[in-house]
Amino acid sequence: MRGGPRVLLTIWAAKLAALALRVTGRAGTHVPGRIARRLHPGIIGAIRHPARVVVVTGTNGKTTVSNLLAEALQGEGMRVASNRSGSNLAAGVAMTLIDAVTWTGRSRADVAVLEMDERSAKLILPGLVPDILVCTNLTRDSIKRNAHPDYIAWVISSALPASTTLVLNADDLIASSIGSDANPRTHFAVDRLPTDGDTPHGAAVDAAICPVCDAPLVWDYWRFNHIGRAHCPNGDFRSPTAAYRAQQVDGPNRRVVLDLDGDARPATLINPNIVNVYNEVAVAAVLDRLGIARERLVSAFDRLQPPTTRFQEETVGGVELVRLLTKGLVGVACSRAFEYLASFSGRKAVVLNIDEVSERTTDVENTAWTYDADYDYLATSDVQQIVVGESAATTRRCGSRSRACRRSASSRWRRSSPRPTRSTSRARRRCSTCTACTTRSSPAPRCRRACASG
Amino acid sequence: MSLTVEMLFPEIANLHGDNANIDYLAQCRPDARVIRTGLTDPPAFAAGPVDLVYLGPLTEKGQLKAIAHLRPHRDRIVELIETGTVFLFTHNALEVLGARIRNDEMGYDEPGVGVFELEATLAMFGRYSGKVMGTVPEVGPEHPVLGYKSQFSMVTAPESLPGFLTAERGIGRNRATAVEGVRRNNFFGTSLLGPILVDNPHLTRALLRILDPGTEPVLAHERLALAAYDQRLADFRDPRRWHPFERVE
Repeated sequence: MRGGPRVLLTIWAAKLAALALRVTGRAGTHVPGRIARRLHPGIIGAIRHPARVVVVTGTNGKTTVSNLLAEALQGEGMRVASNRSGSNLAAGVAMTLIDAVTWTGRSRADVAVLEMDERSAKLILPGLVPDILVCTNLTRDSIKRNAHPDYIAWVISSALPASTTLVLNADDLIASSIGSDANPRTHFAVDRLPTDGDTPHGAAVDAAICPVCDAPLVWDYWRFNHIGRAHCPNGDFRSPTAAYRAQQVDGPNRRVVLDLDGDARPATLINPNIVNVYNEVAVAAVLDRLGIARERLVSAFDRLQPPTTRFQEETVGGVELVRLLTKGLVGVACSRAFEYLASFSGRKAVVLNIDEVSERTTDVENTAWTYDADYDYLATSDVQQIVVGESAATTRRCGSRSRACRRSASSRWRRSSPRPTRSTSRARRRCSTCTACTTRSSPAPRCRRACASG
Repeated sequence: MSLTVEMLFPEIANLHGDNANIDYLAQCRPDARVIRTGLTDPPAFAAGPVDLVYLGPLTEKGQLKAIAHLRPHRDRIVELIETGTVFLFTHNALEVLGARIRNDEMGYDEPGVGVFELEATLAMFGRYSGKVMGTVPEVGPEHPVLGYKSQFSMVTAPESLPGFLTAERGIGRNRATAVEGVRRNNFFGTSLLGPILVDNPHLTRALLRILDPGTEPVLAHERLALAAYDQRLADFRDPRRWHPFERVE
């Protein structure tokens, strides 16, 4: 096996830790992964990998794409290692790889499909050396953590092994630029849609000029943010040509034509939301690169379904209720939700719930993100009411006092900023669980919010 | 009088929602003419008078492009600052006018436009996020300016270079000083996000007064803006809202 006794010891320690956690009813992924990385910081590179390793990253869609890929490959009879139930940070990836080997370190998976947090690239990619890396898109995210898409592109590019084949979104001028000239690459795209425009607008257009001569780009079609197809009027630059394309997108009938490198095949559209059209064609591109027969590749979409945790739709008493969950503290994610809501016909009422748990627990709020959203989508006569307030989900989570809730708050704390002193840490975390909850009996002594009993 | 506001390079200087500074200013002065100067356009300030020159947050590459396009106009910028033209440079836009920007991780150490003696050093894996509360002469200690920092860079400058504000809480140009940003005549340079003109209506009123002394300033959405400021000020004045690292070392 690779790595010797230290690797074996790390595998055993992590597996035993995971076992212990599972016995106590907790998810055995992140903590065992951290233990493993503590024992062997290079464990991601030292452990034996499955024969093929696919990494999925990007601002949006990486969970969906990695889950769909894992399901499709399992449907092909492959043994798939995937972190779908674990974290997408280095610890989660390490534990997924450990789960994919036996106690003696032998690989028991044919392929690994690993979702990767973009900012963790330098901790994961150099050791992992994936065969394929998919980048779904790079758009604005948390101002505090992710800064701007160009920064994330640099983070990924600076960690990418030259041998990794890149599967990139040709309609995303930033995502399609990652990597070096040495990386083999192929692109996917969604052909022009009736709803596309010719001129970008909105608060967040992150690729508007030619990277060579600074001239304003001319858009063949513009979809949202910096997503679309563009060229330089001076001929210095143009969007890459996509080998894999979604064509004739028919949302109502859930049909699409997938052009697989010149081989156009009708397929089931897994979801009409544009983000999921991109996800579908990205999955098709990777499956094709992995050599899955095209008949089976296309038919896989008959049974695949994207996760629905961020989208729910139901009709109650003749009223259509749509629930959209967007990334926290990300204006452009709100813009996409607003745009989707605007696409519904008829009178509308919009309820905006802001879940600010992470802001409250870290105490380093920054409301600038609210000015990155395009509220114009809601400034129409058919939007008759807008209600803004704190998320009811926040209250429920705080009130539930379940182990999962407290773990969630804790991990947000760790991710977001340095830990304060021990006493304030304890007080503030308690505050985050008692806010707006009238049933708690022992509020923190330094509770700073409007807790009824504090 | 009607105002002329020049937004420099909005196609690259548009991060973090900060262009809402100019959106809000334009709402306060609907008669204002806003000129959006692209990278390949000659700046309006170079050819004639403008009332306010604005540059917003940029990417690291964007900073270098802005420097390249502003360097030929260095002397004109200095002249306008000395003669009292209002400038508002927010977030890392201020660094563009400094002596140099050093970014070891991305592998460059580039001279800036050279208007101010300040140097920026970027740490691409050490982003600082925090709050700042401090006093600006025009609005006094009763209405301190409130803002947010979220940046890779720390700036050093000689003590003789006046700051935009002195932080009562939070850090200044870097972790070792409470002096934040740069203020010279009517040049306002600050790393603070907010957008500060939206979040600080008293500052906006003062700025409008400087821009047009003959017209009584009118704030757009005044009641809401002041109520939001008062709420935010109450939050910022609560010592429990401050993280231990949000202070000068």
